[in-house]
Amino acid sequence: MKKIIISVFGPDRPGILAAVSRILYEQNCNIENVTQTILQSEFSGSFIAEMPETLTADILCGLLSEVLTSMRLQVHVKPLETSQPALGGKPSEPFVITTRGPDRKGLVANITRIIADYGVNVTNLQAAFKGGENPNDNIMIYEVDVPVDIDTHAFHRKLRDKASELGLVISIQHRKIFEAINRV
Amino acid sequence: MLSSSEIVSTLEMLQNEHLDVRTVTLGINLLDCASHDINRFKDNIFTRITGLSKNLVQVCNQVGDKYGIPVVNKRISVSPIAVPGAMFSAEEMVEVAKTLNEAAVSVNVDFIGGFTALVQKGIARGDRALIEAIPQALAETDRVCSSVNVASTRAGINMDAVLMMGKIIKEAAALTAGQDGLACAKLCVFANIPEDIPFMAGAYLGIGESDAVINVGVSGPGVVKKAIDRALSSAARPDLGHISEIIKRTAYKVTRVGELIGREVAQVLGIRFGVVDLSLAPTPNVGDSVGEIFQSLGLKSIGVPGTTAALAMLNDAVKKGGAFASSHVGGLSGAFIPVSEDLNIGEAARRGFLSIEKLEAMTSVCSVGLDMVAIPGNTSAETIAAIIADEMAIGVINKKTTATRLIPVPGKKAGDSAFFGGLLGQSVIMAVNNADGDNPFVRLGGLIPAPLQSMNN
Repeated sequence: MKKIIISVFGPDRPGILAAVSRILYEQNCNIENVTQTILQSEFSGSFIAEMPETLTADILCGLLSEVLTSMRLQVHVKPLETSQPALGGKPSEPFVITTRGPDRKGLVANITRIIADYGVNVTNLQAAFKGGENPNDNIMIYEVDVPVDIDTHAFHRKLRDKASELGLVISIQHRKIFEAINRV
Repeated sequence: MLSSSEIVSTLEMLQNEHLDVRTVTLGINLLDCASHDINRFKDNIFTRITGLSKNLVQVCNQVGDKYGIPVVNKRISVSPIAVPGAMFSAEEMVEVAKTLNEAAVSVNVDFIGGFTALVQKGIARGDRALIEAIPQALAETDRVCSSVNVASTRAGINMDAVLMMGKIIKEAAALTAGQDGLACAKLCVFANIPEDIPFMAGAYLGIGESDAVINVGVSGPGVVKKAIDRALSSAARPDLGHISEIIKRTAYKVTRVGELIGREVAQVLGIRFGVVDLSLAPTPNVGDSVGEIFQSLGLKSIGVPGTTAALAMLNDAVKKGGAFASSHVGGLSGAFIPVSEDLNIGEAARRGFLSIEKLEAMTSVCSVGLDMVAIPGNTSAETIAAIIADEMAIGVINKKTTATRLIPVPGKKAGDSAFFGGLLGQSVIMAVNNADGDNPFVRLGGLIPAPLQSMNN
């Protein structure tokens, strides 16, 4: 058996998962991992599945497109290659970087540039709005893996300088604090 | 993956609700520093304290940075000095206090506690010397804190020690008259003193403790208040059972923070972790007040009828949350009601909502006692002793810790203001019944026997 990764995106509506999973089932594919999210009104989902040797990514993509195009969804299928973990197996510590402040263009680009420059890997990025009227209550949450061998003082300083330039309040905290407070 | 609500609520607690680790306190055992030679003893304790704590402040700051939780104070508690220093005179005890102060300055901690004697059953030679040294020791140092345990549920109340403490408090106030009796703000008189309090001025390292231990004091009155405010402003108006549940959950979160930080500091320093003391400890800042919680609960001010019931609920819920969060909860663990250190409580006293008698009633259901209470300078030693005796009785009979930190402010009368500065805050001077009158009762002396442990009604 070989593995494939399928991406599906387009306007959210009932029946997307049912359609994708039915076709995979009919083609004797086994779903191993799924993640899906809805951003505003757009659905985006990724599926990793095992498929029979007789099937190809192109054929499967064609079968999925026949059904999903009529639902205004786009689909992309590619064989899954085994690759190194993002940090090449280097030991790392999970941190959470949050920025709060007015929404503006380039906010994520500026912060992630620094994160990337230090070889830090973003494992999850969320935008949250605390509610209420205050535009300063826009919060960006970057969950990151920080390799243990980087100069964390310099990394933090760079982030703080950039945040201050962008008018953001930034905090950089080890992930354990959020787990300790919120989880039993 | 963390949920955004988990992250946002945690940030709110830190950035807007004053959640912090109030103190990481390194307990240091000095018993084996004992020597008949005062200079050798001073050298021994200085070397021991500075050796063990040289990295304390730096490590606390590093761990605080890592988790984004400020460790506001770093402190040291030591074995009760009256034990390893039992052979010294009062004058020599003052020298020991100065050495403790130098050690605290040298490692940059803001307070060092343990200038302490345990005299609940009787006063030994070293205890007497230490107690007699307290006024000068506290007047001539700025970081040393002192405590004297004069009562316990097992031993009863040592009324000779109580009367002695009345006199000592007056002397300490007189020696610091220019600072409104500041020395008394560093002196607690206890019943049932716990051996692992990280908070000052009562911190000392108990006789039953190991060579060194890290105890952590977390706080969070602002976090509790905001949680109650949010619940009460929601559509489903909660009843007191629900509010108690909210306080409990909040206390759980706060305790978890303390244990996480404490354990990591202990691990980095290579020292055993002791306890988390989950106390709602206010500071003189808006939003960091225990008094404000009572107003959130619908009382006009702390001190009005309903206060004791509200405090009982608050204190119990805090303990329940803390006990679930950690198997190592200790110290005082409850709500503090220090008058001068809490803007709101100070204001309640100024406006007449809070009297010493009401504070005393409240101490029967919370963790400390008559804490940071400024009283008229003409209050007699006997009256101070009688107030202490009343407070000790509450602790002894109810099998709990109580304490007094009374400050007779020299030259000032009820209604005047006293200023202590920093975390110690400022306060109106509270009226005392029969302040300068005679009190033959406390002069009777002796030991009020330990109470029955059955027939508990």
